[in-house]
Amino acid sequence: MEHNYRTDLWVDWCPGCGDFGILGALQQSLAELGEKPENIVVASGIGCSAKTPHYVNVSGIHTLHGRGIPFATGIKLANPNMTVILDAGDGDMLSIGAGHFVAAGRRNIDMTIIIHNNGVYGLTKGQSSPTMPRGMKTKGLQRPNIYDSLNPVNLALSVGYTFVARAFAFDIKGSKDIITRAIKHKGTAVVDMLQPCPTYNEINTKEWYEKRVYYLNKDPTWDPVVKVPEPEEAEKKYKQAVDKSLEWEEKIPLGVFYQNEQVPSYEERIRNNFPTYFTDSPSLSRICNDDGTPVARMERIFADRLIRK
Amino acid sequence: MSNVDIDLIIGGPQGGGIDSAAQIIIRSFSIAGYEAYGIREYHSNIKGRHSYFHVRIKDDLVRSLRYPVDVLACLDAETPFVHMNDITENTLVLFDQDLRNTKLAQVLTMEGETKKHIEERLVKEGCELTVNGALECMKRSGAKLVPVSFRDLVIKALGPNKPPARYANTLGASISMALMGLDSEFTRSGIESVFGKKKEVLEDNEKIVKVAYDFVEKNDGISVKKLGAKVTKERYILTGNEAIAIGKVIGGLKLQTYYPITPAADESFFLEGHDYFEEVIAGENESLSKSGVVIVQAEDEIAAIAMAISGAMTGARTATGTSGPGFSLMAEAIGYAGINEIPVVVSLYQRGGPSTGLPTRNSQADLLFAVHAGHGDFPKLVLSSGDVNEGIEDAVKAFNYAEMFQMPVIHILDKNFANSFYVIDGIDYSKMKIKRWKLHEKNDEEYERFKFTEDGISPMSFFGKDIMWLTGDEHNEFGHITEDPETRDKMMEKRMHKLEVAKNTIPMEDQAILFGEKDADVTLVSWGSNKGLLLDMLDKLKSEGVRANFLYIRLMAPFPSEFVLNVLKNSKLIIDVESNYTGQLAQLIEQNCGFRIDNYLLKYNGRHQTLDETYDGIKSIMKGESKRVVLRNGA
Repeated sequence: MEHNYRTDLWVDWCPGCGDFGILGALQQSLAELGEKPENIVVASGIGCSAKTPHYVNVSGIHTLHGRGIPFATGIKLANPNMTVILDAGDGDMLSIGAGHFVAAGRRNIDMTIIIHNNGVYGLTKGQSSPTMPRGMKTKGLQRPNIYDSLNPVNLALSVGYTFVARAFAFDIKGSKDIITRAIKHKGTAVVDMLQPCPTYNEINTKEWYEKRVYYLNKDPTWDPVVKVPEPEEAEKKYKQAVDKSLEWEEKIPLGVFYQNEQVPSYEERIRNNFPTYFTDSPSLSRICNDDGTPVARMERIFADRLIRK
Repeated sequence: MSNVDIDLIIGGPQGGGIDSAAQIIIRSFSIAGYEAYGIREYHSNIKGRHSYFHVRIKDDLVRSLRYPVDVLACLDAETPFVHMNDITENTLVLFDQDLRNTKLAQVLTMEGETKKHIEERLVKEGCELTVNGALECMKRSGAKLVPVSFRDLVIKALGPNKPPARYANTLGASISMALMGLDSEFTRSGIESVFGKKKEVLEDNEKIVKVAYDFVEKNDGISVKKLGAKVTKERYILTGNEAIAIGKVIGGLKLQTYYPITPAADESFFLEGHDYFEEVIAGENESLSKSGVVIVQAEDEIAAIAMAISGAMTGARTATGTSGPGFSLMAEAIGYAGINEIPVVVSLYQRGGPSTGLPTRNSQADLLFAVHAGHGDFPKLVLSSGDVNEGIEDAVKAFNYAEMFQMPVIHILDKNFANSFYVIDGIDYSKMKIKRWKLHEKNDEEYERFKFTEDGISPMSFFGKDIMWLTGDEHNEFGHITEDPETRDKMMEKRMHKLEVAKNTIPMEDQAILFGEKDADVTLVSWGSNKGLLLDMLDKLKSEGVRANFLYIRLMAPFPSEFVLNVLKNSKLIIDVESNYTGQLAQLIEQNCGFRIDNYLLKYNGRHQTLDETYDGIKSIMKGESKRVVLRNGA
């Protein structure tokens, strides 16, 4: 029987929330990939987006505000053969968890980060998130926003993410394709997922986005993939991605900005010191004999601390 | 009575080889069959500031240090000033005579406040404000000065082309050991075991040892009592940090996360050097299998605990190590591990707080914080160890308990433990059986991570085995969010009940121990690295005819209330001994047992507590002179 990727819980987002589109795209993507559901974990931080794992019928870990990245990372460290997808809010990734977002770019663990980007903190009644432009006044704000916004795609590129894409929540098919590519990518993939918040962001609405978004691959010459392990090739593709990342306001590009699988994943870097890491991963490794005696013995492993004449 | 019982301090600038000198001394005596225990004291600084190693050598069990010391070896100009008060009649003070005229004001590495205190003492004694003045001061107290030119001796040994400063530590250690009467054969072995067997290094050190021993032999002013030969055997010399690392690996550690912090980071650093190894698989033909531990330097402590938590939920024995500032950052995630019933272990090395406090100094002031860390009510275990054998065993047990009761375990330790050198014969594997969780055996689609059971412990599974959900929100048996009041009550009661189960399952000797006589005139109450000191104190008091006992508490949460109350109810004079300001263990006792302790022996200057000051404090309380004695030893 085909696995049903939906749980039977009532989905408690506001009607018209972009999260519905993201959830649908993710469920479709997982169905398309067809991996063993028990080998998949959907992680999240805190906020509306963070409820996503409960609605997907694979394992879920709904964690702490901003800490989705290290929680997701721990799963991969313990078992590098798991598929891990993190659904996080723009506040989660770019404000409270921004340090982790930067560090994850340097690690390149094989996992996927979907940033639910709607410019506001929904569950706490509409405060500005790091992606809301300065001067913008949504109905949840007492006064116009006095912070400048940051550019998630540009930030992701600058801290070393090896797959950087943008999608729009209400193009479910397009988003599904991008999520699938992101999950298949070897290394950390970031998807900046634009989504309206129908309750607190009356400016960046579904219609506002629909007027502006376009897919990069409409241009047949667009090629974001670093194909050979040469610095010139990586630099060319990187610069082109940075250039495109600056495009906003009138025209908003969607699709894959940059992909580089020439960079070793963190798991591969661990394997260099720990050759059996993938086949005898920490989670599966035997730690004792049947009678409970430990298999790790002091006199074998720590003989260098034995002092003798 | 011991025939050999010597306290030594060797001091010099940080980065000037004091660590190597410490290793040489403790290894040399250990190789010679003597017992040794020592501790490193150092500033939060890489190069220049004063650091020293205090060690005690005995021919039988040694668990504590004493002031004044028998030998003071000064490798620089700062040491004689700083340790002026640590000597007594007949203390041998080894110093560099080329530095005799160095003025106190010229010792730029010394902090202004320290300088002021020393200046006051020198002025009061009518001594000049130079190294000479400090030496004169010590001489008046009966110290025997041993002047030596480090420069001349290094040149004599190695010629003019080797930098004398680089050999000061080996030379200082060698002369010290010659003064203590250790046969040069053992000194050479000790040096060899520290620096390895490279030919050039061996030759140089051979020459250094020779000039050191010649110097002492030909020095008419010193009479050395030669130490007798002991049976030598192979032994481990371990710091507390290393012991925890070893215990974790034996206990099945597979993933360790950390963010660099003193005094915890040495544990992870040591693990990084032992992260891929052969394991012994039992069977008809015992076989070896290669395996490893993943050690991850995270971007901060929040990431370290978060990675550890989800690693544990992916089936690996997972731990992190930190100190107060890092543990403060981990508090929210500890609560997450509590509500999600996650078997994660945190090794918490206390240091002087609050805030950055005294980053490299000792403290026991995080006990109540550890017990109460995290918001809301949730079960956690707080386990304390007092020496390396206990530390190794407890590191294994911490994992066992974490998995058996499915809750976070805080293994609380301190800087004194972390940076002490202990000599041990080996370990007892019979005390280190691995016990794992009650596993969900079936593979079905309806796994309930938080299934209600009689003992509150749900069958365990992990990511990669069954589909399950975790959330920091209150949840139902499947792990989905709920705010239903009845389910909330049942979940709270399920989780908290596990503490009762843990308390009833953990052996009493792992919770609290009463050492010494059952019926005593004075009862000492303490925990952690004070253990060895107070055991030595019991021996000392006994030898003077004082009937004393020592209530040593190991399990801080859940608390062994009945046992503790029973001991205290039947005690006469009770003294709480701790390295903090507020008597946190006494507070914990009052909170759990409703019993108030009235007498305190406290220390919070960050320096290691010594036998002499503890003894004086106990006597003062016994005489009724004081109810709260603050110990102030240590440079």
